[in-house]
Amino acid sequence: MRIIIFILVSIWVCLGYSQNKETLYDFTDLPQSLMLNPGANINFDYHAGVPFLSQFHINAGLKGASVYDVFADDGRDINDKIENTLNTLTSNDYLTLTQQLELISFGWKSKKNEKIYFSGGIYQELDVIGYFPKDFAVLAYQGNQDFLNQPFRFSTINGSAELLTTYHFGYTKKINKKLTFGARVKLYSSMFHIRSAKNKGTFTTVETPEGNNVYQHVISNVDVTVRTSGYASMEDAEGKEITNKLIRRAFLGGNLGLGVDIGFTHKINEQLVITGSANDLGVILYAKDVATYRAQGNYVFEGFEMPVQFSEQDSQNFIDELKEAIPLDTLSKAYVTMRPLKLNTSIRYSFNRYDDGTCDCYIEGEKPPYLDAIGIQLFTQFRPKKPQYAVSLFYYKRFFNFLRTKLTYTIDDYSYYNIGFLTSIHINKINFYISANNLLEYTKLAKVRGSSVQLGFNIIMR
Amino acid sequence: MKKKNNHVLLCVLCILVQSISCIKDVDFDQIEDVTLTPIYEVDFVHSRFDTNQFVGFNIDPAISIPEVIVNDTLSYDLLGTDFVVDNLDRIELTFEFSNTIERDFEFDFGFLNADEQRIGSLYSMIANSGNGEGTKPVIITKVVILDNSEIDILRDATKLFASVRLQNVNSSLQGILELKSKGTYFFNYEL
Repeated sequence: MRIIIFILVSIWVCLGYSQNKETLYDFTDLPQSLMLNPGANINFDYHAGVPFLSQFHINAGLKGASVYDVFADDGRDINDKIENTLNTLTSNDYLTLTQQLELISFGWKSKKNEKIYFSGGIYQELDVIGYFPKDFAVLAYQGNQDFLNQPFRFSTINGSAELLTTYHFGYTKKINKKLTFGARVKLYSSMFHIRSAKNKGTFTTVETPEGNNVYQHVISNVDVTVRTSGYASMEDAEGKEITNKLIRRAFLGGNLGLGVDIGFTHKINEQLVITGSANDLGVILYAKDVATYRAQGNYVFEGFEMPVQFSEQDSQNFIDELKEAIPLDTLSKAYVTMRPLKLNTSIRYSFNRYDDGTCDCYIEGEKPPYLDAIGIQLFTQFRPKKPQYAVSLFYYKRFFNFLRTKLTYTIDDYSYYNIGFLTSIHINKINFYISANNLLEYTKLAKVRGSSVQLGFNIIMR
Repeated sequence: MKKKNNHVLLCVLCILVQSISCIKDVDFDQIEDVTLTPIYEVDFVHSRFDTNQFVGFNIDPAISIPEVIVNDTLSYDLLGTDFVVDNLDRIELTFEFSNTIERDFEFDFGFLNADEQRIGSLYSMIANSGNGEGTKPVIITKVVILDNSEIDILRDATKLFASVRLQNVNSSLQGILELKSKGTYFFNYEL
């Protein structure tokens, strides 16, 4: 137990929140911007990511609390701090963890039509969201004594986790001088999936002064479902067997799904640009290794009547009664889930064109680039309970030909003062980039409620 | 040359800012001190003894039955799992008798293992005599505390037995004895 908590806390502390990549979005110096908007206005001849190193992305976040709230070295009893945090958190607070690793990434300009750019690759993704199961956390931490006559709601149990690989191929076309459009087809191979949402029912300990006993323990209209795929066959598997199964599923042996990304860039004028994209508009059909656990029913327990001779009834067996009243069914029926759809949109104003005639920082024959840009971005991700939103202001600065940066200020569920920064270094064809957010809080990372890190190496030819 | 060095310095600085972070003012060793102390209220046993159900009206009131004993045993896994046994601080069993029958009742209960052998103590209590049918019931509350050592002894309990006994019963005896009870489980779980 202690190890699990430690690992969770470590992930929470060391890593960085929703899948928002505000620094990478519309950062058209990097091919990874195509993964956020296939209609990004990139200007490459070809690109190749260094295998396994072209993008490592991780973000984690907790809405409602921070590590500091519990582990602050302030002389207060940790149990009091846990209780305070427990009272502060609500069932709309959540923990998210997303990790992505690009295995292969490549792209090239079409020889037949230089207005078309093809890009493709494979990446692995882990996506976890767990809403805080407030009511049952309270029941476990404090018991029911102080919560008599108050219902503990099963609807507070919500979450999902998925490990998958995505094979993708995209097409970006400069339709005309003003509009660039792109689309990307994605084939998902899910290695493991678990989801519990839309649960119903309550558990209440009711005081019954006029009843048969002191209380009635009432489980009312419970309907709890946990869908899993890729789990049932793992239950008895060990170490290497699990690894082999996961690898097989990673290479299209898992539950398959299909999705698309679409996006555009529209130049309103030379300096003003708007963009928009929808990512992971798709579904996965879970048909292999599916186990759905569902418990439904009502039950009232008021202790054991004894001696039963008084009532001339049969002796009770609590466990049997409960199992009969709320049977746990295991189903293997296939199910379909939507991928978490993400929407991005931005407006950018560029200025400060580098035009003194000495710069070698742009392609011959093309107009010199603007060295600065400001703008605003909006991000939305659809989650099991409700969408998450983020809004960012950004400032793009190109210092020299080899150093391009982007500074963002983001307001989201986790923070109202999240500063992010991306550095991209281009030396000949070699590119390295690193990006992180919540920089203001970096010296006191424990207080951070979410942060995100991306880094990678590319070979880019212009 | 100097300009180039500045560029390199700028790049290194940008990367460093994004790579270095530290966690101050937190102490993860505090996890050693985390103790969960939930308290659960759970119904225990209940019964309702109405003399009408046991003594026929047509029996001559002069005929007295010296002693009536009612026994019962039921499957009852008091502690469930080793986790519960190892992390339970104590259990308080609270019994409330409400009696209008003009007799004292003796209520005994205990626990049996899978071989039907009693383990732990035999717990006895008296529900004092009431004042007859239609009167205000006499209410007696008893608390039995099962401490750590008793809980450990009851680790293998799988059944609960109970008996109710009363003496000198005849058909003129009227009234109701009600028993309500609950267990308060005090946990103390250190991570």
